[in-house]
Amino acid sequence: MTAPILALRGVTRSFGPIEVLHGVDFALHPGEVHALIGENGAGKSTAMKILAGYLDPTGGEVLLDGTPIRFAGSDQAEDLGIIMIHQEFNLAEHLAVDQNVFLGRELKRGWLLDHKAMRARTAELLASLECRVDPAEPVRRISVPDKQMVEIAKALSRKARVLIMDEPTAVLTERETEVLFRQIERLRAEGVAILYTSHKLGEVSRIADRVTVLRDGTMVRSDPAAGLTQDDMAAAMVGRELSDLYPAKAAGGAEPVLEVEDLAVPGLVEDVSLTLRRGEVLGIGGLVGSGRTELAEAIVGLRPRSGTVRLKGRELAPERVAEAMRAGLVYLTEDRKGAGLLLEKSLRENLTLPLLETFGWPLIDRRREEAALDKAIADFAIRAPQRGMAVGNLSGGNQQKLLLAKTLLSDPDVIIIDEPTRGIDIGTKQQIYGLIAGLAAEGRSIIVISSEMPELIGLASRVVVMHAGRKAGELAGEAVTEGGIVRLAMGMEQTARDNAA
Amino acid sequence: MKKTLIAGTALIGLYAGPALAETIGISIPAATHGWAGALNFHAERTVERLKAANPELDFVLTTTSDPGQQVSDLEDMVATRNIDALVVLPFESEPLTAPVQRIAESGVWVTVVDRGLSQEGIENLYVAGDNDSFGRTAGKYFADTLEDGAKVVVMRGIASTVDNERVAGFQAALEGSGIEVLAMDHANWNRDNAFNLMQDYLSRFPEIDAVWAADDDQAVGALAAIEQAGREGEMIVVGGAGMKEMVDRIRKGDKTVPVNVTYPPSMISTAIEMTALGLTGAAPMSGEFILASELITPENAEKFYFEDSPY
Amino acid sequence: MSGTASISKNRARGARRPDLRVIGPLVALVALVLIGMALNPNFLSYANITNVLARSAFIGIIAIGMTFVITAGGLDLSVGSMAAFVAGLAILVMNALAGSMAGLPVLLLGIALALLSGLAAGFINGILITRAGIEAFILTLGTMGIYRSLVTWLADGGTLSLGYELRELYRPVYYGGLFGVSWPIIVFALLAVLGEVVMRHTAFGRHCAAIGSNEKVARYSSVAVTRVKLATYVILGLLVGIAVVMYVPRLGSASATTGLLWELEAIAAVIIGGTLLKGGFGRVWGTVVGVLILSLIGNLLNLTDFVSPYLNGAIQGVVIILAVVLQRDTGAAR
Repeated sequence: MTAPILALRGVTRSFGPIEVLHGVDFALHPGEVHALIGENGAGKSTAMKILAGYLDPTGGEVLLDGTPIRFAGSDQAEDLGIIMIHQEFNLAEHLAVDQNVFLGRELKRGWLLDHKAMRARTAELLASLECRVDPAEPVRRISVPDKQMVEIAKALSRKARVLIMDEPTAVLTERETEVLFRQIERLRAEGVAILYTSHKLGEVSRIADRVTVLRDGTMVRSDPAAGLTQDDMAAAMVGRELSDLYPAKAAGGAEPVLEVEDLAVPGLVEDVSLTLRRGEVLGIGGLVGSGRTELAEAIVGLRPRSGTVRLKGRELAPERVAEAMRAGLVYLTEDRKGAGLLLEKSLRENLTLPLLETFGWPLIDRRREEAALDKAIADFAIRAPQRGMAVGNLSGGNQQKLLLAKTLLSDPDVIIIDEPTRGIDIGTKQQIYGLIAGLAAEGRSIIVISSEMPELIGLASRVVVMHAGRKAGELAGEAVTEGGIVRLAMGMEQTARDNAA
Repeated sequence: MKKTLIAGTALIGLYAGPALAETIGISIPAATHGWAGALNFHAERTVERLKAANPELDFVLTTTSDPGQQVSDLEDMVATRNIDALVVLPFESEPLTAPVQRIAESGVWVTVVDRGLSQEGIENLYVAGDNDSFGRTAGKYFADTLEDGAKVVVMRGIASTVDNERVAGFQAALEGSGIEVLAMDHANWNRDNAFNLMQDYLSRFPEIDAVWAADDDQAVGALAAIEQAGREGEMIVVGGAGMKEMVDRIRKGDKTVPVNVTYPPSMISTAIEMTALGLTGAAPMSGEFILASELITPENAEKFYFEDSPY
Repeated sequence: MSGTASISKNRARGARRPDLRVIGPLVALVALVLIGMALNPNFLSYANITNVLARSAFIGIIAIGMTFVITAGGLDLSVGSMAAFVAGLAILVMNALAGSMAGLPVLLLGIALALLSGLAAGFINGILITRAGIEAFILTLGTMGIYRSLVTWLADGGTLSLGYELRELYRPVYYGGLFGVSWPIIVFALLAVLGEVVMRHTAFGRHCAAIGSNEKVARYSSVAVTRVKLATYVILGLLVGIAVVMYVPRLGSASATTGLLWELEAIAAVIIGGTLLKGGFGRVWGTVVGVLILSLIGNLLNLTDFVSPYLNGAIQGVVIILAVVLQRDTGAAR
């Protein structure tokens, strides 16, 4: 085996009084794809940030080519060929794609910018990623997966010796993931060391040479991927054997609770009708951009729409999200950080925001708020190091649980959950699945929107599939299969609608 | 050459004979404080009066709130209105000198009002108040009436040449009088600032014999603060520029406001009228007219009181 | 899980200790008071303290409203001109009515008019920002110019003065008081306490902070974003009206220079007080401290010959920057 390029030796890291990494040893070799996995809050992000020079270790050392080094910052690490691709995009929204790719390292001719060269080089990089974005397009106008591709193109444009990827596939479709993997394999062949994190264990077994598992800030195992099954990995992450990931499906009643007829959002959704019955979990599948989220937002009143929405027989006015909530219909956004939570506010302030009026009028009763938070922490098993901390400092899984608690605060009858487990570890996933099944068992009705096929299949008794803003079809019972959903999602089976009906 | 101009209004009657259509451009600062407001008032009234008396005369009146805009206004006047004469009260001397010079060189009659240009000999006619005399007259009154060792506080205006000249005149007049100037701070020709400043003067000095407020807007603020503190009998307040309210107090024999000093905003009327006169050819009106400041006393107050003036 | 929760709860409560970031403006205020005491023995006199508090009241009352606007992510540059316009309008109408009615009804009508026109002006700002979607900075820059020239126009370039009898009748509203505390101070204090309670303990205050923090999250959380934002501007307009009601009896006049730069002083006070200019967090008590700091600087400079009066603006600038830096630095160190 070759000597490691980059390694951690006995590294600890504390934030204030809390130590989040406890003496981690870790080595990254050239020509290796090394997967770092663990639950949310296990310390993956911290370990990666230390490797990439964004954070200093509190104790222990970082070794580059065998010699201890202390990065002055991520800039220095990048100059040494250590490039990190962030989970949250570090893109300047108003700049064009090529300007982003070369941000801070612009190509110049004399003292003028060489726009032509940068544009051409960007086009090349994007072509190698099979991404069809125009390099001149402003980043704010391109889709989320394309943004991820631009981030990757940005990393590829540098001479990387070490490439650190923090969940690059979280927002990618399977096809895009395959393209990315081909690039990773190419880089591996060139001798680049790749550190890779993902919650998708299938991907890990597919691409990684070596797997390191972190749990609660400690490295629990580091082994060649060849000898590890997905169950082994999950067990190491969670620290216990995982029983079946999905709970038993609740059998829905017959009584329709939510009826949507001929709903349309100009330019985004056309003629969608669907019915949700009491105690049922209905899935909505389809590709990213197929209008799933827009449909959900229109139903709950966050977007202008035409068509009718009836909740328990009563028609809801469009664009009245507060009224819908009071009537018992709520929506949990897929955009946790942009639309779900106030990142710089405390857990308490986030939890009670939608229903502040019920916590006392004219003055808010702080004790009732605290009691509600106590209950939410207990019911949803939220793990917060400090009660008064800003929500932005919570791990993704705990943020999602808090968002769930917030959404369910109004005791709704119908809950639309958009991407319930995006960017969340497997242990938390299982908890959330359990919660969804529990809600259905209580007689509530749930719509789950998801890009993950197993999630739809595992949770929903019926699945509506969207394609290009329209309802491509509906599957129920035994017909809910991966193949069936994909065919509808790709627009291959327009007749499926009739079959399902 | 210095003349003391007594009454410009008397000149209106002189327009006669066949006149060609002549355009007079007038550029003055916007009405951002009382005195400038009165300036605008007098300018507009004079223009109306002259138009009625002489239909052949045309006027372009612009008001500006900064020197840059004033330069643009002047350029527009020359370019689009083809003016024959210009009456200008420069917002600031330095930046306006060159543009006005260019206009003068193109053959346009130029009358400069109040604030002189930084280079001599550009204008055909200069009509101005006398800032040194403004300060000196007030200072002389203090020196004449206050006892040796009397204590005076001073309110200055916006830090500028005008303010400096006034204060220099005031200080020169006090020299050797034995009057002590306790403090000088800026109240920026603003009533509210003057009120606050006077409150603070009153807290700071247990004994004040006189306040030179230097401007009647400031005097209004100072008087309100003195009244609030209940120290009316202790000191006199002298403002300046002959605001209606102050002149009224003087003519009624108010003990706190015994006198005032003129700096008539109507000088703009004088300037416009003289320019019109010069243009219509009735009489050549070039030269320099400095309107010295006069002391308004209870005896002569009546003649400085104008019922319908806004100031 | 409940174990974790209770442990963390204890830790959070134990960690409550005075934090420089929180008390930063207070430290600056106390420092200014100490300097004042050292420089002039009259500084702490009843008269001087009363003067400073009363003159802080106008900008203070406006700044309370500005705290809500800024916390909700907005801005209002028009308040100074608005105050001048409202004052001018009220004086004009009171003078016009004075001949036909008794003094007191005229006065009450004038006060009602000031409050209503402030409310209306705030509503116009708010509706154009929230419904027509015009950037707050640009819109209020526009209305700032509009109100300023309207008052100049109303006053014909000069000064609008309240008639003598009305002025005498109105005088006590500024100069009078209860138990030796003048009315402007009482009103300012009451509004400050009310503002602090509304900001910290009501749904409205929490909604302002949520909108300023992330408008999208607020909308997705069923907060009536448009209504709350509109309300902040209307409240600010009303407070401008209240400030004018206290201001007019002081000198009994309004002119083109009335309320000049009040908007910047109000915004500066809000920021010195620890409210974030980009919105998301606001505190009214901080704003009150900020207003007092600004007034005290002027007062101190008037009470001493320590620096050339030409440098007053520089001193003020330095203190403002220091007060803000004090919060920032300790904030980053945390």
